[in-house]
Amino acid sequence: MTSDGPSAAPTPVQASRILEREARFRQPTLYLRLALTAAFALAPVLLPSFQLMDLMLKIALFATLVASYDVVIGYTGIVSFGHAMFFGFGAYAVGLSLGKFGAPTYGYLALAFALGVLVSAALALVIGAFSLRVKALFFAMITLAFAEYALILAVQLSHLTGGEDGISPKLPGVFAVSFTAGKVLGVDVNGRVVTYYVVLVVCLALFLTMSRFVHSPLGRTLQAIRDNEQRAEALGYRTFIFQLISSSFGSVVAAVLGGCYAMWVRYVNPESALSIQIMLDVLLMVIIGGMGTLYGGIIGAAVLLTARTLLPDLRAVGTLMFPGSEILQRLTERWLLYFGILFILVVFFFPKGVIGTVREVLSRRNAAR
Amino acid sequence: MKIALPTLLLGLLLPLAFIEPRVYLTLTVAGLAMGMLIFLVASGLTLIFGLMDVLNFAHGALFSWGAYIGFSVVLALNQRLGWAESPSVGLNALLLLLAILAAMLVAAGLGMVLERVIVRPVYGKHMFQILITLGATIVMEELIRIVWGPNDQVVPIPLTFQGSWDIADVIVLRFPIVAIVLGVAVYLGILLLLKLTRVGLIVRAGVENGEMVQVMGHNIYRYFTAVFAAGSALAALGGLMWAVFSQSVRPAMGGEHLIFAFIVVIIGGLGSVTGSVIGALMVGLAYNYVAFLVPKAAIGVNMAIMVLILLLRPTGLFGAGK
Amino acid sequence: MPEIILEVEDVHTYIGQHHILQGVSLHARADAVTVLLGRNGAGKTTTMRTIVGLLHPTQGAIRFAGRDIRRLPPYEIARLGIGYVPEGQGIFATLTVDENIRVAMLEEDAESRKRLEQIFALFPDLERFRHARAGSLSGGQKQMLSIARAFVNRNRLLLIDEPSKGLAPIIIDHLVTALRAMKQQATVLLVEQNFQVASALGDDFYLIDDGRTVHRGPMEALVHDHALKKRYLGI
Repeated sequence: MTSDGPSAAPTPVQASRILEREARFRQPTLYLRLALTAAFALAPVLLPSFQLMDLMLKIALFATLVASYDVVIGYTGIVSFGHAMFFGFGAYAVGLSLGKFGAPTYGYLALAFALGVLVSAALALVIGAFSLRVKALFFAMITLAFAEYALILAVQLSHLTGGEDGISPKLPGVFAVSFTAGKVLGVDVNGRVVTYYVVLVVCLALFLTMSRFVHSPLGRTLQAIRDNEQRAEALGYRTFIFQLISSSFGSVVAAVLGGCYAMWVRYVNPESALSIQIMLDVLLMVIIGGMGTLYGGIIGAAVLLTARTLLPDLRAVGTLMFPGSEILQRLTERWLLYFGILFILVVFFFPKGVIGTVREVLSRRNAAR
Repeated sequence: MKIALPTLLLGLLLPLAFIEPRVYLTLTVAGLAMGMLIFLVASGLTLIFGLMDVLNFAHGALFSWGAYIGFSVVLALNQRLGWAESPSVGLNALLLLLAILAAMLVAAGLGMVLERVIVRPVYGKHMFQILITLGATIVMEELIRIVWGPNDQVVPIPLTFQGSWDIADVIVLRFPIVAIVLGVAVYLGILLLLKLTRVGLIVRAGVENGEMVQVMGHNIYRYFTAVFAAGSALAALGGLMWAVFSQSVRPAMGGEHLIFAFIVVIIGGLGSVTGSVIGALMVGLAYNYVAFLVPKAAIGVNMAIMVLILLLRPTGLFGAGK
Repeated sequence: MPEIILEVEDVHTYIGQHHILQGVSLHARADAVTVLLGRNGAGKTTTMRTIVGLLHPTQGAIRFAGRDIRRLPPYEIARLGIGYVPEGQGIFATLTVDENIRVAMLEEDAESRKRLEQIFALFPDLERFRHARAGSLSGGQKQMLSIARAFVNRNRLLLIDEPSKGLAPIIIDHLVTALRAMKQQATVLLVEQNFQVASALGDDFYLIDDGRTVHRGPMEALVHDHALKKRYLGI
C-alpha cells in the first residue's frame, strides 16, 4: 500500500480531479443537466405534437453534432469544413444500406452504422495525415475541397445515390412506421416514438462519451496543444498525432449522428445531408453557444433551429408588408443574409459564445469573492 | 522547385499518346485558358496569404462580385449602345475593357473595406480570420442574390470574342486565347511589380518579416490594405473573365472557384505566385484532358493531383513551409 | 551635463499573461554607448522591443529626445530616428544585400549615400556580395548587414541586441572596431552577453534582473566590482 502516508501526496492533476469529483454533486449545473435530459425525455409525453417532437429531436441531434464539432474546433483548435460531410456519410450509409441495396432488417441497420463509422474514420485519417502534418490551415482548405467533392459525387452518381431526389429508406421492426404497441402514459407507442427515444439515448451516450473524452488526459493534452502548439511539441508530444486522433474521433461521432438523423427523417438527399449549408449551421451553432464548452451546442442548436421553424411566417410577413418592391421582398426572403451578419457580429463581439461568456462572468464573480 | 517543370511537361505530353493531335491542341488551349483564369483567382489569394498570413475565404465572393459588376456594365452598354452586337473590334474591346475596369475598381473598394473593417481586427488569429471572412462571404453572396436576383443569367459576349479561328484545321476558340494572353500579362505584371518597384520591394520584405519592415519605418498596414485591394481586384478580373468564358453568371460561382483556387494554392505552395501559375496550369490542363478521355473522372482529377503533390512535397511545389 | 536622448521610466510590459518587465528605468546619454546586462530571461530583449514599439507597455513612460513615444506604432518610432538591430539579425533572406539596405533607406540622398560608403568601408564584404542573396551570407556578414541597415538612415539612436552572439572571436573583433567607429555618429543602446565586448564598447551600464533595473553606473566601475558581476552575471 503506497497510498497512505504523507509521502504519497497527490500530483497537481490528481488533486484537481479529486476536487472536481467532490464538487460534482454540489454543482448547480448537474441539476440543470438532469432537468434538460428530463425535458427531452418527457417532451413526447407532455406535448404530443409531431412538430414539437421533431424540433426537440433535431435539437438533440444537432446539439450532439455541434458538440462533436466542438471537440475538433474548440478543444483541438483546428477548423474543419468536412464535419457535415461525415454526418452525410452516416446518413447515406443508412439510406443506401436500408433503402437501396439491402433490406429493412436490423442486420442491415447495424451494417449501415458500421460502414458509416469505418468509412468516416478512414477518410478522416487520410485527410488529416495529408494536411495536419504541414499546418492546420491546410486542413480547413482540404476538408472544404473534400466536402464539395462529396456533394458533387452524391449528385452525379445518381444510379448509386439517387441523385438530387435522394433515398427514402424503410426501417426495420420497432422503428417501422407501421409498428404500434398500444398506449403508455397516454402516448401512442409507435415507430416514431421508439425512434425518438432510441436516437435520444444514442445522443446522450455520445454526449457523455465526448465529455469523458475532453476531460481525459488525452483531451487535456489536446487543449494544451491548442493553447500553445510549440510548447506542447517541446514537451515531447507529437502534436500531429493528437490532432489526428481528435479530428477522427469527432468525425466518427458525426457519422453515427448522421445515421440517426437518417433514421429520424427517413430520407437522405445531397442537400439535407451533405450541403455546405449544414456545415455553416453547425459553425454558427458552435459560435453562438461557445467554442470549447461542449454544452454550448445545445443553446446554439436550440436558437438556430427554433428560428428556422419560425422563418416561413416571417417570409409571409415580408410579402404582406412590401407588396410592390421586389428588392424589399427579397430582403425579407434572404434570411441567409441576416445569418451572415449575425455570424460576423457574434465572432466579433461575442467570441466566447453564450456558455463561454456566462462561465467567464461566473468565474470572475467567484474570484472577486 | 525542380520537380515542377518535368511534372508539368510530362502531364502536358502524356495525353498526346491517347488523343488525336488536333483535338489535343484544342484541349490544350482550353486547358491553358482555364488554368490562367484560375490563376487570376489564386494569385490574389496567395499574395494575401504570403504578406498577411490571412486565408481569405471571402475571395470567392469578390470573384462573384467582379463577374456581376462586369456583367452589368456589358448589359447596360449593350442595351443602350449595342456595343456587344456591334461588329466593330474597337467597340467590342472597349466594352470588355470598361467591364474589366469597373469590376476591378469595385472589387478593390470592397477589398479595402473588408480589410479595414473585418480582417484587421483579427490579424494573427487564424480561426477567427476563417470564420469572419466566411461570414463576409455569406453576406456578399446574399447581397448579389438581392441586387441581381437568385437565378443564373446569360452574359452577352462581344462579337469579336465569339467563335473561333480555324488555323490549319485546328479549331482555336477566340476567347480562351484572350484569357491566356491576359493571364500571362498579369503574371508577368505581378513579378515585375514585385521585382522592380519600391512597393514591391517592401512587400517582398514584409512577406519574410513584417516586424522588421515596421521597425524600419514602413507602415505595413498600408501595404496590407493595398495588397488586399489588389488581390480582390484580381479575383474580380478572374470572375469577369470566367463569366464571359462560360457566358453566364451565378451567385454561387465564386464559392466553387474558391475551392479550385485553394487546390491550386496548395499544389503551388501557399504564398508563391509562380507556384500558383504552375498549379493552375496543371489543374486546367488535367481537367480538360481527363474530361475528354474519362468524362466521369474529371471532377476528381484536381483532388487527385493535390493529394499526389502533398504526398511528394507536403508544403506544395514552391512552398516555404512556414 | 550631457543630453539624455532616451528616457525609460518604470516600464511594465506583459507578453500574453506574463508580467515580463516589472519596472525598468534607464537613461541613455547622447553619443555614448549604454549597455544592458543581465542573465538570460532577465528582460533585456523585451526592453528593446518595448522601446521600438513592438510590445506595448502597460505603464511607465518612454521618451525619445524629449518626446513621449510610448503609444506610437513601431513605424513612427522608427521614423523619429531609432534603428533596431534585433537578436538573430532579422535580415530578409530572400532579398539581396542591396535590396535589404534599400528597404531600410527611407530617403536616398547625399547623406545616406555617404553613410553607405562608410558602411562599405567598414564592412567590405557587404559591397563585395552586394547582389548576393542575403540568406547565403555567413553569420558575421548577416550581422554586419543588419547593423548596416540600421546605420544608413542616420538614426540618432541604435538599439543593438546581442551582436556578438554565435560569432567567431576574430569576427567579433571586427564588429567591435566597426561599432566603435559608428559610436561617433549615433547613440547606442547595446544588449551584450559577452562581457569583454560590453566592457570594450560601453560607457554606461544598466543591470536588469527579473524584469527590473537593479544597478547602474559607469562601465569602468562595473569592470572592477567583482561582487556585483558574480551576483548578477555569474562571472
